[in-house]
Amino acid sequence: MLLTMAICIQINTIDAATKTVGTTLKDNSGLRDELLSVQGNYENLYKELNEKKQILEQTRKMAAQNNDNDTKNDSSIKDNQKILGLTDVTGQGIIIKLDENREVDSNEVVNISGYLVHEEDLLYIVNELFNSGADAISINGQRIVSNTSILCDGNIVRINGKMVGVPIEIKAIGYPERMDPALSRPGGYLQLMADEGVKVTVERSQSITIPKYEGVYSYDYLSRGDT
Amino acid sequence: MKKGKVTITITIGLVFLILTAVMFVQFKTINQTDITSLENMREDELRTEISSFKQKIEDLNKEITDTDSKIAEYQKAIDSNKEASELLSQELEQQNNILGKNDVKGNGIIVTLTDTNDQKITPEDLRELLNQLKEAGAEAISINGQRIVYDSYIVDISGTFISVNGKRIVSPYEVKAIGNSTYLESGLSKKQYGYIDTKLEEGKDVKLVRKDNITIEKYTGDLNFEYAT
Repeated sequence: MLLTMAICIQINTIDAATKTVGTTLKDNSGLRDELLSVQGNYENLYKELNEKKQILEQTRKMAAQNNDNDTKNDSSIKDNQKILGLTDVTGQGIIIKLDENREVDSNEVVNISGYLVHEEDLLYIVNELFNSGADAISINGQRIVSNTSILCDGNIVRINGKMVGVPIEIKAIGYPERMDPALSRPGGYLQLMADEGVKVTVERSQSITIPKYEGVYSYDYLSRGDT
Repeated sequence: MKKGKVTITITIGLVFLILTAVMFVQFKTINQTDITSLENMREDELRTEISSFKQKIEDLNKEITDTDSKIAEYQKAIDSNKEASELLSQELEQQNNILGKNDVKGNGIIVTLTDTNDQKITPEDLRELLNQLKEAGAEAISINGQRIVYDSYIVDISGTFISVNGKRIVSPYEVKAIGNSTYLESGLSKKQYGYIDTKLEEGKDVKLVRKDNITIEKYTGDLNFEYAT
């Protein structure tokens, strides 16, 4: 009896899920094609930009080699690129994983789209990680830079304009013995999230790699102040 | 009679086995539902995603043009055997402006948040504001003179002070943002669920003005990595 009921509930759930997907398939195929095409276009341009950036690095280096001050500036530009998040970086740190608790009874499974990780949670965790000395942070591969926004958009969180869903993986390079307790301590933020039903794991690691920022900095309105 | 019992037992056993298998398959299906995958996106999500990519393509095209012209200029300096000092310091200055190593100026908005007897401004209010300003394209931000850099944090110190970049600040909180003032203002002023309306509804004292030629002071702290290479 119980089994049959459980199965009925599940079949209903899946039916409902496929129905939405089904209509999506029929009605939005034009939109999905368009999305695929702009995505492809974006990826090609991103590749092109990266190739050009490499050529720029080489040309700048060559142009700077005959003058000591120029050589110094060239290496300052390289250092700045690191701080701006424009290179992949590696170091010790922690990895925080946040997931929906999937071992719930079938009635709650119906609520699969109910989002358990919110923009405030991510803003808080990022803030706390920088407060405890993090050098670099990424969330599901999105590097957190000075102009990164983390926004809830319906069921989805957007970081650097990219969609991010559960499971959430936050990587932070820094001193693990400082960052981990700041978030994991009893009564701390991660414990509060765990109490609310989020599956939380924190892992310390000797070698974490955080990818570079894929976006572009704009400075259309900004100029150097009077010095 | 005995034979019948065995058959029934086997049948029931089989039915249970199949039922269990079906349940596992279904659990798996539900587990694999990824709301960010293309197939599961709703129409409005698809539209937002498309326009987000279009914006990014525009940004990339601008950056490609910019990179091309820099390559050409450096190449010109190499070919004519001239020094590229001016170009190098220009590029470095742009980076330093963005990073917070220089004082910067430009048009934008100023948001002022003030503690009242009923409602105090919290670190969350400020973090949320920064997040919204960044979303609206702010190029530089400061709070009471503290430049917001990539690793800035805003915390509460024993319920008495707010600290930004480890420095104590007090109400009124003056948040300066340089950027397209129209975008910045409309980003915060969306009806009902926008930042300003939400805070006003909470009874908080928030004011926004557009301002030309805002100056934002440079970050006084250290911007180097300690653990990342």
